Amino acid sequence: MLRLENVSVFYGAFQVLWDVSLDVPEGTTACVLGPNGAGKSTVLKAMAGLVPVRGRVLYRGQDISRLPAARRVGLGMSLILERRRLFTGMTARENLLLGGYLLPRVRRDERLREVVSLVPGVDALLGKRAGDLSGGQQQLIAIARGLMAEPSLLLLDEPFLGLSPKAVNEVEAIIMSLGRAGMTIVFNEQNVRKSLAMSDRAVLLEGGRLIAAGPSAEIGAGDIVQRVYFGTHVAQGGAA
Amino acid sequence: MMTPMFLWEQVLNGLIAGSMYALMATGLSLIWGTMRVLNFAHGEFFMLGAFFALTAFELLELPLAPAIAVALLGVFLAAVLVHRVTVAPLMRQRGWDFSTIAATLGVSIVLQDIALMTWGERFQSLPYFVEGIVHVAGVRLPAQRVLILLAVIIVVAGLVTLLRFTRFGMAIRAVASDPEAASACGINTPAIHAATFGIAAMLAALAGIILAPIIAINPWMGVPPILKAFVVVVLGGLGSLPGAVIGGYLLGIIEALGVAAFSSEWREAVALTVLIIVIWLRPQGLFGQRIREA
Repeated sequence: MLRLENVSVFYGAFQVLWDVSLDVPEGTTACVLGPNGAGKSTVLKAMAGLVPVRGRVLYRGQDISRLPAARRVGLGMSLILERRRLFTGMTARENLLLGGYLLPRVRRDERLREVVSLVPGVDALLGKRAGDLSGGQQQLIAIARGLMAEPSLLLLDEPFLGLSPKAVNEVEAIIMSLGRAGMTIVFNEQNVRKSLAMSDRAVLLEGGRLIAAGPSAEIGAGDIVQRVYFGTHVAQGGAA
Repeated sequence: MMTPMFLWEQVLNGLIAGSMYALMATGLSLIWGTMRVLNFAHGEFFMLGAFFALTAFELLELPLAPAIAVALLGVFLAAVLVHRVTVAPLMRQRGWDFSTIAATLGVSIVLQDIALMTWGERFQSLPYFVEGIVHVAGVRLPAQRVLILLAVIIVVAGLVTLLRFTRFGMAIRAVASDPEAASACGINTPAIHAATFGIAAMLAALAGIILAPIIAINPWMGVPPILKAFVVVVLGGLGSLPGAVIGGYLLGIIEALGVAAFSSEWREAVALTVLIIVIWLRPQGLFGQRIREA
């Protein structure tokens, strides 16, 4: 469904991704692993079109490398950014309506009702100002906002960051249920054990380079993850 | 002798002047709030609005209302072009804050020179839109000045409605709040930036057009209003639309009362003294939010 071919990303003069190539088959849940500064968020932003890339990004066989983020949403890709990034001065309902910005008005209202039934707890928050919600509530709204665009591919950047254990469980249950319903999901997360348990496939990055990719069970069974996280793996070349 | 009626008259005069400041500052504030750009060419859209209306009215011999509509459309298109050619390419680069200031200052000078070459340096004016005298709570005011007050109230109310209750307005607010998150929602952020720049320029143009019958139209007429507008946005709080409107009216009233208390030479001194006191007591302005260090 989604393929990166030799994707490199630069922030100004600094290169942060180096020739990353990977495949995300349709209907799978994939996690992106790696220590801080590995380029996990950048990979998701490259997929979503929020950073310019060298190399190719293919979505359902179509080269979308030069397509702006807004157009990718129209193709069925939705990114939920790190730390929720809600429009805090607006209500939760307004945030959700903006998530369905590209939908015709009638369909948008229908979709709002569908999303409210898909994400438990959202209904009670709709009238509240997004900035007044707790971290867990904000994450529910962020996921609901991402779902408003009717995505086939959902990208989640650190969905558990800063959440209470209860909220982590709620968000995990929602992601798992979306995966079971057949949605293609790519997420990154610091908790390796949880990530591998939630996903079918895993991608391991270090210093902006791809170290390993494959079924989560295989990646988890070897010692490559420990070596990367504990710094005993030697990556090829330098990185930003 | 400062009688209550005299003071009331000054307050009304201040409200009329403040309407102009509010309209100019609202545009500046909209641009700052949406894209964090200080547009130093904003005063030139004030000037272009007046010249375009004058040209449509006198040269094309259009009736006044269509002439104004043509002028506003012309300024919108000119502003979108300016945004596309200067501001947008700079915003794609890192560390663009200062470069947009320099670029819009350059645009300001270029637009003044284009106006000078096109319309010359002689002072011109539009005819009054309405004639006669209106009595407002015991004060006699020219109808044109009352029209200014009413027009600005209607335009600001329309702008608030647009921002609060339309899909396009929500998109503007989303882009102002977090451009990256707005893009992730499918909002075409560069297009919203261009449209916002155009709408803000139209507000300045409208100010220029409705003032054109009572001030001289010339290539440099945009310079004093832009200075006042910057005072207002700092007074009201950068990026705050209520701050721009209320700040505009406040500045107008303070100036008028300052003139009444001292003399017209003290107009700017009184206003700027108040500004300094506000900044001293409340650096974020009356309605601005304090920026927290990370």
